[in-house]
Order: sequence, then C-alpha cells, then structure tokens
Amino acid sequence: MRATSLWGVLATFALIFEYGCNTQKTMYRWGGYDEALYDHYKNPQKRDEFVVRLSGIISEAEKSGGAVPPGCYAEYGWALYEEGRTTEAVAYFEKESKQWPESRPLMEKLIRNASRAKAPAPAPPAVPASAPEEAKK
Amino acid sequence: MKRLLLLAALAAACQKTLPAKDYSKLVSSNPRAILVVPVVNKSVDVDAANYFLSTLSVPLAERGYYVFPVNLVKRMLEDDGLSDAALVHGANPVRLCTLFGADAVLYVTIQQWTARYIVLSTQVTVEFDYLLKDGRTGEELWKEHQIRVFDSSSANSGGSGGLLGSLIGSLAAAIAAKAAPNYMPLARDANTAALAFPGPGIPAGPYRREYRKDLPPSAPPAPAASPPARPAVQQTPSAAAHPPDVVE
Repeated sequence: MRATSLWGVLATFALIFEYGCNTQKTMYRWGGYDEALYDHYKNPQKRDEFVVRLSGIISEAEKSGGAVPPGCYAEYGWALYEEGRTTEAVAYFEKESKQWPESRPLMEKLIRNASRAKAPAPAPPAVPASAPEEAKK
Repeated sequence: MKRLLLLAALAAACQKTLPAKDYSKLVSSNPRAILVVPVVNKSVDVDAANYFLSTLSVPLAERGYYVFPVNLVKRMLEDDGLSDAALVHGANPVRLCTLFGADAVLYVTIQQWTARYIVLSTQVTVEFDYLLKDGRTGEELWKEHQIRVFDSSSANSGGSGGLLGSLIGSLAAAIAAKAAPNYMPLARDANTAALAFPGPGIPAGPYRREYRKDLPPSAPPAPAASPPARPAVQQTPSAAAHPPDVVE
C-alpha cells in the first residue's frame, strides 16, 4: 500500500517534471548552428568554414530523418547566393519554402532576385541584386 | 556541463511564480513566424551585438515558432543600407514584417555586457531587454528583461547559492577568463529564462505540441484556427504604397 502511494507520488513528480520542464530535449537537431554563427561573427575571414558547417548541419538533420531546423536551408542558400552560385542557392531557398511555409513569401522574393542576378552574363562584380533595374538607367 | 546549466535554469524557471503579464495581445495576435532583427548594443563591447544575435534563433525556434534566418536577415538589411541596428529598431515594425513576411518582430537590446576585474575575482554581467511587436498592428506583444551577474570569487567558493553559484570548475573559469571572458553561457541562460513558459516567456508556438494548450487561464478564447496567414500587403497601406526595395 505504502509502496503504491510512493510510486504514485514519484510518478506524479516525474509527470510534472516531464510536462512542466520538458525543454531539456531539443525539438530540432541544430548541429551547432548557434556556435557556427558565433564563430562566423568572431572570425569573418573564415567564411568557408561557416558555409561548410551550414551544409553539415543540413545533411546531419536530413540523415536523422527529422526536420532541418528553421532557417538553416535559407541561411545556406544565402551563403551560396553570395558566392554567385545562384542555381544552387535557389534550390535551397525552395527547400526552406517547402519545409517552412512561413518562409514562402521571403523565399519567393529571394528566388526572384537570384534568377534576376543570374540572367545577365555571369560577370563577377555583379550589380547588387536588390538594385532596381531603373536605378541603373 | 551545458546540460547542467540548462537544468539549473529550468529549475529556477519552474520555481518562479507566474508574473502578472498581460498575454491577451500576444494570444490574439497568434504569431507563427518571428523576425529577429540585429541587436542594439548599449555596452562598450563592439562585438557583443553579433555574438548575442547568434544565441537567439535556437531558444526561440525551440519555443515552437518559425524564426527567420538571422544572418540572412542581417545581410539583407545591410544591403538596404540598414546596417545600424538602431535604425532597424526605429523603423516601422509593420513595414519591416511585411518585407520579410513575418507575423512579429523581436527586438533585443544589450544593456550590459561587461567584465570587471577586482583584485582576485572577475565579475561578468550581461543584461538584456527583449521586446516583441506585432507585424500587423505594430503593437507591443510581450517584453522581458534579464540580467545575469557572475562573480568568480563567489562561484569558486560555492557561496552565492543562486543559479550561477552551482557552476563548477572549468565553466566558471571559462566565463571569468581574464584574457577573454566568455559571456555566452550567461547569454544563453538569460535567453532560456526569458522565453520560458510558464514563466516570464512566451506561450508555445505552432510547432510545439502544447501549442494553444498552455495559455494563461485569463486569456480570451483562441481565434478560430486560421490558416498560416501572412500579413498581406493590402493590410498595410503604407508598406504597399512604398514597396520595399530591399528584396524586390
């Protein structure tokens, strides 16, 4: 009898702890996204490292079968876009959009920008994609 | 070690009594997608803003919200001439959210990010203000203030007893390292506590199981489950009249 009630108390505590304080396990497999950002801001000259880490975060999360955390596809896509790898960038913007519907309006804009940037000859000193066409005339 | 910190933070968060915050606007606004803009830095440490920005996505997304990629957002704003975070914080939140398709925008300000060296000890302090505004109305939805003080002398003697008094050995040493004190554990701890709910934080977002089930009892009934509606351009005439050029 006493044992039963003890178990009951324990179970209740476990439940309260589990329910009230259950943020111990993360929802997403972040793979050190925050550390990657931090290191990138600390050592901006090591940009390549940052890009490689973003790619690693994505493949790790994909491998695990869980959702790639919010923003990671887009962050990686943006890094590719900055390098002028627009086709690949668009693929990642599309992935973000598909995985996270909330991002769709922004991703669509980025995809439009990327397609516009790649339309002219791939001149390395590209005009900032955000500059409206009219501004150049 | 990190787990220890987290556990301590959780224990502290769970012990606290519910502060009397008005959640009615946040509940009825029901944001899904949160834009985190660059951090305004009122400390003298010039690196603090970016370092702190890197800590915000994870705890916010773990609360169940879609969080826009902070580095991408920062770069886009910079491309648009908004590299000064104070300018971004001063801009119209409705226009800002329309630009990115966000439901709400989180502004964070660093009040303190300092290390003081006193004879044999190091005192590290971080202090932040968090402010969430509605992307459709620009109204304030939630705000919170957090401060963390870490004193190496009381931590080593196990004295302070508080949350950070329980830190042991190497982590304490890392935070208080004279050459480069590590603010990050304190910053992460402050974020976790700020967002904890029940606690001073925000109710679970749509990607958490307890979404809409953890609301404060006084909250009005949830609006009929609406589709993940974006703040439509038509709703914000000012933004529509002046299409943002940052992403167009």
